[in-house]
Amino acid sequence: MEHEEMSLFPGLSRRDFLKTCGALAAVIGLSGPMAAPKVANALQQLAKRPSIVWSCFQECLGCSVNLLQSRKPGPANLILQQISLDYHEAVMAAAGSQAKKSFHEIVDSKDFYYIVEGGIATGIPDACTIGGMTSMEMCKDAYQKAKATIAIGTCACYGGIQAAKPNPTGSKGVTAFLKENAGISNPTVINSPRCPGNADDTVAILLYAIVNKKLPELDDLGRPKFLFGQLVHDNCERRGHFDAGEFVEQFGDQGSDNGWCLYKVGCKGPVAYAPCPKTRWNANVSWPVAAGGPCIGCSEPEFWDKQSPFYEKAPGIRLPGDITPTQVGVALGAATAVGIGAHFVGQAATGRLFKGAPVEGKEEDTGSKEGGK
Amino acid sequence: MTKVVIDPITRIEGHLRITCTVENGKVTDAWNTATMFRGFEIFMKNRDPKGIWQFAQRICGVCPTPHAFNSVRAVETAMGMDKMPDSARLIRNMMEATQLGYDHILWFYQLNGFDYVNVPNALNANPTTPSLKAVQAQVKAIVDSGQLGPFANMYWEHPGYKLPPDMDLEITAHYLQALEIQQKACDAGAMLGGRYPMINNYVPGGVTQMPGIEEIEYYKSQMADIKAFIDTVMVPDLLAIAPYYLDLATFGKGVGNFLTWGVLDEKSQDPYDRLFPRGGIFDGKLELQKADLNEVRQYTKHSWYDDGVGAGKHPLDVGQEPINFTKMPPIDGEALPEGKYDWTQAVRYGKEDRPMEVGPLAQVLVAYLSGRPEVKKLVDDTLAAVGQAGNPAVLLSNLGRVAARVIKAKVNSDNALRWADELLDNIGKGETNIYNELDFSKDGTGQSGWDAPRGALAHYTKIKGSKIDTYAAVPPSNWNLSPRDDKGVRGPVEEALVGTPVADPTKPLEILRTVHTFDP
Repeated sequence: MEHEEMSLFPGLSRRDFLKTCGALAAVIGLSGPMAAPKVANALQQLAKRPSIVWSCFQECLGCSVNLLQSRKPGPANLILQQISLDYHEAVMAAAGSQAKKSFHEIVDSKDFYYIVEGGIATGIPDACTIGGMTSMEMCKDAYQKAKATIAIGTCACYGGIQAAKPNPTGSKGVTAFLKENAGISNPTVINSPRCPGNADDTVAILLYAIVNKKLPELDDLGRPKFLFGQLVHDNCERRGHFDAGEFVEQFGDQGSDNGWCLYKVGCKGPVAYAPCPKTRWNANVSWPVAAGGPCIGCSEPEFWDKQSPFYEKAPGIRLPGDITPTQVGVALGAATAVGIGAHFVGQAATGRLFKGAPVEGKEEDTGSKEGGK
Repeated sequence: MTKVVIDPITRIEGHLRITCTVENGKVTDAWNTATMFRGFEIFMKNRDPKGIWQFAQRICGVCPTPHAFNSVRAVETAMGMDKMPDSARLIRNMMEATQLGYDHILWFYQLNGFDYVNVPNALNANPTTPSLKAVQAQVKAIVDSGQLGPFANMYWEHPGYKLPPDMDLEITAHYLQALEIQQKACDAGAMLGGRYPMINNYVPGGVTQMPGIEEIEYYKSQMADIKAFIDTVMVPDLLAIAPYYLDLATFGKGVGNFLTWGVLDEKSQDPYDRLFPRGGIFDGKLELQKADLNEVRQYTKHSWYDDGVGAGKHPLDVGQEPINFTKMPPIDGEALPEGKYDWTQAVRYGKEDRPMEVGPLAQVLVAYLSGRPEVKKLVDDTLAAVGQAGNPAVLLSNLGRVAARVIKAKVNSDNALRWADELLDNIGKGETNIYNELDFSKDGTGQSGWDAPRGALAHYTKIKGSKIDTYAAVPPSNWNLSPRDDKGVRGPVEEALVGTPVADPTKPLEILRTVHTFDP
């Protein structure tokens, strides 16, 4: 039987497996005739399906709901055939001590990838406990034993909404928690922000690590450059209207009907680094700006404080005329990494981004682009 | 007496512990402990009222849409906008229909399903169709691989699993199908709202833009698929499973008080005229009562806030601070929760301080008593199917909660296309206003009650000097998962747990069932 041949991926025929690999290859930017076989080869060399422990800490579950919106592959295929989702409190059948047993079995095996959704409560550790363990205890334990750790969504990356001022529970992202509260001086965490975290990003990062046997190159905020290298503004379908000085002045006006630029009603696209306009959301059907609402900059640290008020113009942007996208960023202190901006503008110009694998390890690519700190 | 603690309760949104005492095979007392706190009302203070809904929808990533709705409506009413532009009403209804469309499917199969469907037992089935054979092969391969993933360590050997193997296999197949189908509703919501979850097309005053005809047609096509799934798979599954689990009608009765603020506005925008109308039911008497947003009171004697913070106050008068965390009750040992044991405040209704059950059962019972013909027919048909014709009181149970969610899903999907058609009519008539600019320079107080899929949800806000002075959200889980109030009266889930049979305290499947019927 076909499924026996592919016993690592239960129930998947050889042909379907290669088809899936082709789709997965595109997700991590591989193209050409050898892309699918390369992915297939990497996956077949695995002794077992990649085991995933997914912790939900101070969260709203939005990242997990988006996980269920994954398309390449779809959720049933993803959870049961591509990976083994061994611990996820919202998905798993087992509860209570049986769920804790699953957590400890997998974590102690040290053969798993760790994904974190939600912030870590460090000010009031008991503001987040699971099975009597605090988020601090669980996160430190699993991080130290995982093959790699991915923070999914802006909460796990940077603290997110519950870290908004005055941050009543002392909520932190995984990296800050590990550094400041767990005594781990130089943690390696792949940040995949946005609110919610995007399922396709998660799949892409995992696959990237498995196929390339190394982690993707990260920017100074811990985000994979192949996903978060460009400003929303640079790829926005409404960008032409910004350049032409055509703005929505009020929701529902003529400019709104015409799909004009949302900058004047608060769009933070000029300061947010995210792939939304290129990869869009939910099977690519749309993205926040296409719905006529301004980008709220949800991929940036502390965006709840720094990018709000959400419906007021981002300060300091010179309006159309003689300004380049990189300068827009500089004006806001958002792209102090001129190098990064230039590099990715160059990539976009040559069409390489999302088509070719990212160039790794280039020193000039790493600069600070702290969002207005 | 045996103490049983389940922590974490899985397959829910949020973090929950349940502590029970079990004697002679039955739960004799119960405590629920929400084990996570974020402090929304604290960090929402002093923000821009126009953007506050973006914060509010992050209270719940499973149900952001009703939070978004209540937040913009609370701000709108505070700023004196009593009614929404009619086309904005319809677009908001369409968004809500997508929310309900995916949410109830997800609950029925993904969150609740494993309590009744024994996945490994599907290997004993004798399927005849290629698709069921393929699913069985998939389950077998997963079991043989030793990597059981989400199926690991469940109480599969528990005698409480009653379905024959063929049915376990079929519902497992539908579990997988549901994972894909729920995306249809989310995609429709994303088409209008930009993404799902965390939509981007709401704003106080209306919505950001009028969708194009193609987008409206896309919504219709997606929601037609949702309706087809509910009609041909989910409703038949309920009716097929129910006869094996009729004992569900005999426990989980709860407090017998029900509350719904209503959801899905008709043209009148009268909350008592909604598709699911506003109303209450008190003391187990199936008579319809009015429901008033200002009769909500909160108590903190058993919650980790200072005692004076709640003490019978209106939500806007309750400060979430000062936080007063004492200690998490111990899991091990004999000690039971006492004093403060919950991050949730006790929410009560009216001068009688009634604990109120909220959720689809409340919504369906109120619609039934309000004389909604389609709800009445579905309820009557369901009662007949389980041999309880003419006895709606039997719905005050775990069985009623499960059935009500399916009925609600069906009524929502039956009406989802109507909102789109009405919007197309409005466009045809040139009634295309979707937004009225609000004047934020004046001060005001506003509120909105509009149910989330899991039950009554209300937001309250006071705006002062163009800033949020006070914000209060009372989500459904605050009702259902209320701890004891200041008089010691149990919350709805706690009360429903009392009397739940427990065949084996080391494998408390029945406790999970009662808790999950509330979609906590």
